Amino acid sequence: MVIEFGHYALVLAFALTLVQSVLPIWGALIKDERLMAVAPPVSVTLFVLVLLSFVALTGAYLNSDFSVLNVLENSHSAKPLLYKFTGVWGNHEGSMLLWVLILVFFGALVGAFGRNLPADLRAVTLSVQGWVSAGFILFLLATSNPFTRVANPPLEGADLNPILQDIGLAIHPPLLYVGYVGFSITFSFAVAALILGRTDAAWARWVRPWTLLAWGFLTLGIAMGSYWAYYELGWGGWWFWDPVENASFMPWLAGTALLHSAIVMEKREALKVWTVLLAIFTFSLSLLGTFLVRSGVLTSVHAFATDPARGVFILGLLCFFIGGSLTLYAWRASTLKQGGLFAPISREGGLVLNNLFLTAACAAVFVGTLYPLVLDAVTGEKISVGAPFFNLTFGPLMVPLLLALPFGPVLSWKRGDLAAACQRLYAAFGLALVLALVAFWAWGMEMVLAPLGVGLAVWVMAGSVSEIVTRVKFFEIGPKRGFARLVGLPGSAWGTAFAHFGIGVTVLGIVTASAFQEEHVRTMRPGDTVDLSGYEITFDGAAPRRGPNYTEEVGHFTIRQGGAMVTELDPSKRIYTARQMPTTEAAIHTVGFSQLYLSLGESRGDGAVDVRVYFKPFITLIWIGCVIMAFGAACSMADRRLRVGAPKPARKRPSAPVAAE
Amino acid sequence: MTRKQRRLMFIGSAGAVLAVALGLILFALNDQIVFFQSPSDIVTQSVPPGQRIRLGGLVEEGSVIRSDNAEVSFRVTDLENTVAVTYKGILPDLFREGQGVVTEGVINPSGVFVADSVLAKHDENYVPKEVADALKDQGHWQGGESAAN
Amino acid sequence: MIFWILIAGLTAVAALSVLVPLSRTRRLPETVASQADEAVYREQLNAIETELERGLIDADTAEAARTEIARRLLAAHERVKAAPGASRPKTGLKLAQAVAVLALPAVTFGLYLLLGTPDLPDQPLHARLTAPAEGQSVDVLVARVERHLADNPEDGQGWAVVAPVYLSLGQPRASAKAYANAIRILGPKQEWLTDMGEALAIAEQGLVTAEAQRAFEQAVALEPSAVKPRFFLAIALGQEGRKVDAIAAWEALLDGADPTAAWVGAARQELARLTGETPNMTAPRGPSQEDIAAAADMSRDDQQAMIRGMVSGLAERLTTEGGSVEEWNRLIRAYMVLGDKAEAEKALASAQAAFAENQNDLSRIKDAARQLGLSGS
Repeated sequence: MVIEFGHYALVLAFALTLVQSVLPIWGALIKDERLMAVAPPVSVTLFVLVLLSFVALTGAYLNSDFSVLNVLENSHSAKPLLYKFTGVWGNHEGSMLLWVLILVFFGALVGAFGRNLPADLRAVTLSVQGWVSAGFILFLLATSNPFTRVANPPLEGADLNPILQDIGLAIHPPLLYVGYVGFSITFSFAVAALILGRTDAAWARWVRPWTLLAWGFLTLGIAMGSYWAYYELGWGGWWFWDPVENASFMPWLAGTALLHSAIVMEKREALKVWTVLLAIFTFSLSLLGTFLVRSGVLTSVHAFATDPARGVFILGLLCFFIGGSLTLYAWRASTLKQGGLFAPISREGGLVLNNLFLTAACAAVFVGTLYPLVLDAVTGEKISVGAPFFNLTFGPLMVPLLLALPFGPVLSWKRGDLAAACQRLYAAFGLALVLALVAFWAWGMEMVLAPLGVGLAVWVMAGSVSEIVTRVKFFEIGPKRGFARLVGLPGSAWGTAFAHFGIGVTVLGIVTASAFQEEHVRTMRPGDTVDLSGYEITFDGAAPRRGPNYTEEVGHFTIRQGGAMVTELDPSKRIYTARQMPTTEAAIHTVGFSQLYLSLGESRGDGAVDVRVYFKPFITLIWIGCVIMAFGAACSMADRRLRVGAPKPARKRPSAPVAAE
Repeated sequence: MTRKQRRLMFIGSAGAVLAVALGLILFALNDQIVFFQSPSDIVTQSVPPGQRIRLGGLVEEGSVIRSDNAEVSFRVTDLENTVAVTYKGILPDLFREGQGVVTEGVINPSGVFVADSVLAKHDENYVPKEVADALKDQGHWQGGESAAN
Repeated sequence: MIFWILIAGLTAVAALSVLVPLSRTRRLPETVASQADEAVYREQLNAIETELERGLIDADTAEAARTEIARRLLAAHERVKAAPGASRPKTGLKLAQAVAVLALPAVTFGLYLLLGTPDLPDQPLHARLTAPAEGQSVDVLVARVERHLADNPEDGQGWAVVAPVYLSLGQPRASAKAYANAIRILGPKQEWLTDMGEALAIAEQGLVTAEAQRAFEQAVALEPSAVKPRFFLAIALGQEGRKVDAIAAWEALLDGADPTAAWVGAARQELARLTGETPNMTAPRGPSQEDIAAAADMSRDDQQAMIRGMVSGLAERLTTEGGSVEEWNRLIRAYMVLGDKAEAEKALASAQAAFAENQNDLSRIKDAARQLGLSGS
């Protein structure tokens, strides 16, 4: 009954999205505020309904109710409780339900907390969100219903794909989806702005917290996915330029550009046309990613088992939303008024530069991801576009961007003074130069790019620190007053500094982990020792072990440094019983920011086993940097100025005008 | 600077960045992409040694020979022709005889394919899409759609 | 019934979330569009003051920015004034209310009845396994015992109960393992040893393996007069080709046996075969030359009937006694030849179930089925 109740709630949610799609926007167009007022409560009800159906499905997973086809195909009664729970979104139907849940969650957030918005903007935005929700709930019900039942179910399910049975899966998709799907709300805002013909500074201000929220979660989601692939797939790589990874990276690049161009729009009312277009593009790229992952046009570790009907349906949605919004854009963009003027060397100029490079980089990733698909479809020729392509295109586009990055925040609006900016950054530049030279001296001249990369990363990090320091005039007014001013800095200033610092940290991690990684692949017998980066790694032997729903062969290794024991590591090779599927479980030892990474290959009989050993210097900085970036987004969102116009304080104000006709 | 000049400059610099990006993309597409080939393609079209390619097919039954130091050699077949492959490293979990595989590397002068990466998908029924298509071309594909997903 | 009340309640809540805002009579201040815009621009003005105070911008810049923002503030004001006053058309409202009250439940119920299965109750595994035993399928009962045994692997009686069930479900290996567990825990018993031997033999298509033979020998040692283990030991001797020993064993077994016992006929036949050198019996059984010759003379309908009879005979034997991969494949092919795809698929399924534990056999079955155009699961 609970399951059918959940199913009913989902169907009801679909019917309600139709109401949401029509009534509020109609109300906004004929200026009937009662129709507009429907939007917020309905958006909250929608969220509750989808949440109910999500809870019902989760209950079916937790109770191993195999009368639900989705549970039968993706769960197993012996699976640990945590993975029964996370298994809900470890498959196509369940993850799509999560997708929809987040979609209506964002609608409900705007409904519940969007009181600072003009009623018409809020109503139309929620209507547009209603269109998107209706499309995707219909997709669920028509092609991927998670509530399909089995009358006489077997007693055991097919289990969840073992590589997805990991704590990483518990965190990665929900984070990623909050990011991915979160951009739906900026899309809805953009379409609403076009419909209402109001794109102004206030609009940009209202959209900013939503962009920040989605961007922060997308950053965390991508980082988490990268770390998960790193330790779960056992290849030691943290980014593969896999089409599915690119599918989440493209909205990130576009979203980053949007975040920056919206600032220009907010402060100067310039770049309006471009910002609205970016908001549309960002969500379009999210939709494209969803299409690529679920239609079966890609084969990838992440791709779900697919069915052509789903691909066609999503393609239809994709064409409708992207095509529709771009048509609307073409029709209405010409009516948008020109914004403020600015000189090339100015904060605006810097942000334009940022947008140019990010868009170009996004385009490069786009071409590299889709070109093989298009070529296959058109000529039937099969090619693969791998890391070399992206390193050659994406890399060079990032270098000037990072070089220019520290200048942005120190330039003033409208007309900047490059010389003054340089003056504020000379310390950062000096530090970067010194560290790059030290790197040259330490690692020798044969590695030219790595020390330059280190210098670049330090430049970005030091640049964001010095921006904060000079902003509060720390050295001129003394530390005491300096600290006071530091505390008084607006959240958005801290946000900028942290996000930029995080970029530098990630770049540093990427440069050092790729350039100075050491790797050994060796067949080892018990007692054998491998030397790697000053560590002696001894293979003591392997032994079988039993887990709840798998059996594994665990290798035991002792790690010593200069004869003294550092740690013991137990990488393993698992076989999951239900699917008879092997997985590799790497063992990782973290030393400071660096990691020692062991994974097992084939057993050779007579106790010998193939072993892959890596030393990855400073690799954790890659993900730490991402966390810092997301923290920056959080700081910026905490800026109280973003809540301006909120009616709560306004209502308390005695002079608040009431019901002006 | 007048408004018009500013706008021209803006468009000019944007154009320059995009031109650079486009140039990079085109250059990389010419140079860095890797073609997928079946064993028959390699045998009949004589791919020059040293050119990077992706070779896909089925791992021939009984052809896998492991030697010490994590080296392995095997033959990849599309049921018409076969190509010998050597690889040093850890094979993916789902590498098995009789199963689909995609390897990337170069052909050495003696005609042996030296792979630096071997991929097998994380699904027991998986035959890589390229391999399935290639086998279909050869008329050896019997699995139908059910096995291709 | 509760279900229908619940979903009716849920629908009502959804409809109310549309109806309540529609029935509002009072205008709220938040609908005044200019207020929201003004708040933003006023804040921007404040920010400029703060920045000026901190010395982040100079007075000229601040002044320019102020003018700019003031212009925006004014524009926002103008826009609101220019906008037509709010309308409150009656018809639109009526229509919207009708949608909430009628269309919303109608669409939902219709769509749900199309997609849902309201009669199907939840079936949590735990409840299924603890429900009263009556009316449960054998699979459920076996799964329950299995779970019980997984938690209490030292329950010998449990193993003894499940062992014959496995055999009747066509899982001789599981059966033998269960008997072995029962014997390990509760000590040897003639019947268990014998049945374990039988299960082992069935698992090898009737071949009495060394392991099975050991079990029968232990059973005889416990109870020298027991017939069944001696019967199998005699068969084993015959299979080994030790003709003289086998004849002696059969004669000893038949000596003084109750002639009406079911096994006596089979024993006599075996003895006759060994002494009379009739063609060997280990080859898979099939229609004889005579049967086929007779088939050639029959009319088409009779032929079909005979073939059907043979096929169903084979099917019955395979399902009750089990058989080799070849035999199963022959059965599947026969059904396809007869154009009975449904039966062929059924046979394929049971063949896969019978060889579920042997990957090699399983793939042979799948290959054969694929050639016939059947998709093995």
